[in-house]
Amino acid sequence: MSEHYLDIVRQVLDRQVVDANHYNCGKVDDIELDLSGKLPRVTAILVGNQYSSDRLPEFAKWIFQKFFGRSRVKIPWSDVSAITDDVKLAKNADEYGLDERNGFVYRFIEKLPDAWRK
Amino acid sequence: MSKYLEIFLGILTAMGGFVEIGELLFTVNAGVKFGYSLLWMIAVGTIGIIVFCEMSGRIAAVTSQPVFYFIRQRAGYGAGLLTLLAANLASLLTCAAEIGGIAILLKLLFGGNYFLLVVVTLIFLLLTVWFLSFQAIERIFGLLGLMMLVFVAAGFWFGPDWSQMAAGFVPNIPEVKTSSDYLVYAYFAVALLSSIMLPYETYFYASGAIEDGWNPASVTQNRLIVIVGFSLGALLAVGLLLNGALYFQPLVIEPQLPGTAALAPAFAFGKYGLILAILGMFFAFSGAAIENSLTAAYNLSQFFGWSWGKYRVPKDAPRFHLSWMVVFVLAALIILTGVDPVQVVEYSIVFSIVILPLTYLPMLLAARDEDYMGPYANGWLAAILGWAYFVLICIAALAAIPLLVITHGGRG
Repeated sequence: MSEHYLDIVRQVLDRQVVDANHYNCGKVDDIELDLSGKLPRVTAILVGNQYSSDRLPEFAKWIFQKFFGRSRVKIPWSDVSAITDDVKLAKNADEYGLDERNGFVYRFIEKLPDAWRK
Repeated sequence: MSKYLEIFLGILTAMGGFVEIGELLFTVNAGVKFGYSLLWMIAVGTIGIIVFCEMSGRIAAVTSQPVFYFIRQRAGYGAGLLTLLAANLASLLTCAAEIGGIAILLKLLFGGNYFLLVVVTLIFLLLTVWFLSFQAIERIFGLLGLMMLVFVAAGFWFGPDWSQMAAGFVPNIPEVKTSSDYLVYAYFAVALLSSIMLPYETYFYASGAIEDGWNPASVTQNRLIVIVGFSLGALLAVGLLLNGALYFQPLVIEPQLPGTAALAPAFAFGKYGLILAILGMFFAFSGAAIENSLTAAYNLSQFFGWSWGKYRVPKDAPRFHLSWMVVFVLAALIILTGVDPVQVVEYSIVFSIVILPLTYLPMLLAARDEDYMGPYANGWLAAILGWAYFVLICIAALAAIPLLVITHGGRG
């Protein structure tokens, strides 16, 4: 990133993630930091219910993981191509397993009449 | 479409979509119980919804980001999730109440089994939202909901006392028989405020602005639509209250069903008044049911970062589309349990005001943030009104549940 200054909580955490085709593929649910150096360094953005529910109190976390699974996708910081209002990725969502058009919900919706209309 | 026609249609749509089943029943009954005394609360609520929707519409136009995007950013994941669950529960309850109301109207029109009509209503709503575009839904239900104006015509046909009516617009406490009636008055004041400032209207309005492709140039259009459209919508609420005060109060009838409320226009204008009232309610309730189901789907999608919008090819936003379908089905199931839709209305209205501050505050903070909004950030008037209403809805939110319990849902 060419930014001189980036507020990682305000400008990255909980922001919309979009892929190279500007398709919505989740939110930045958490951020991975490397704390081994002199200064903390962002190494990845984390997307998925496992990460977001880790931010909840224990009981709520248990419920959410029980009902909505523990999906987790780690996207290397080097794959982030731009940060505007959204966090834009350099690759397509399906390369990270984040394309909702691959799941069972899609398979149901696409079978309905007129689901392909413009 | 020319800009002016778009604004004109937007105003009519905002007006036609102003009333739903909760507002209808609470407003008519407020008139029955307290005559003109609660007219001022219609004015207070209308200014409140104008302030809230103007802010969220402006944010959507300037940033292309809807309500739950900001709520997650501003409140964080945990508090944002709580807000999401509460908002969607309120939308689900409201949607259920509307479906129950529509089924009651269909029963009045065609007769038949109520539960079967709930299923018919469900199928009608599912097909409507699936096959019609966002703009078509907005226009059809908003514009045909204008048939509700027959309630306004009836209200004035009954010959209101103009000086008493004017006095009703000034905050007042009426003379009542017992001290517990003061609490009932307070309950109706809070419920009226809530029914006019239902939070789903704001989420839907902001998401709709993005569906309609608004941009910073749309800020003036936004302002015109909310100010003129909602003010004219308030006229509907005034008409309903007059129906209660001038027709039902002398008969000592407290309408608990939409069909009963339609008796006032029927008395004033005969068969045609009755048909217009029932059709107007049908389109107003259907519009509100659709708005609530779509709102819940918008909220979920925006919070979790899914692809969303009626403008997208359905297969490209599968979770969004499944979400509104699930909301309709759950809402219909609630009504199919046999629960009284009017009781669902009551709970949805009270619950809505309780959660309103949770969504109002993040929007207020975003609207005043010059980093986000640049030159479109809140000016002095929006800032003063914004904070004043935040205080007001916090007080109403704190009072709502105790008043519901103490007054037994306004029955005293």
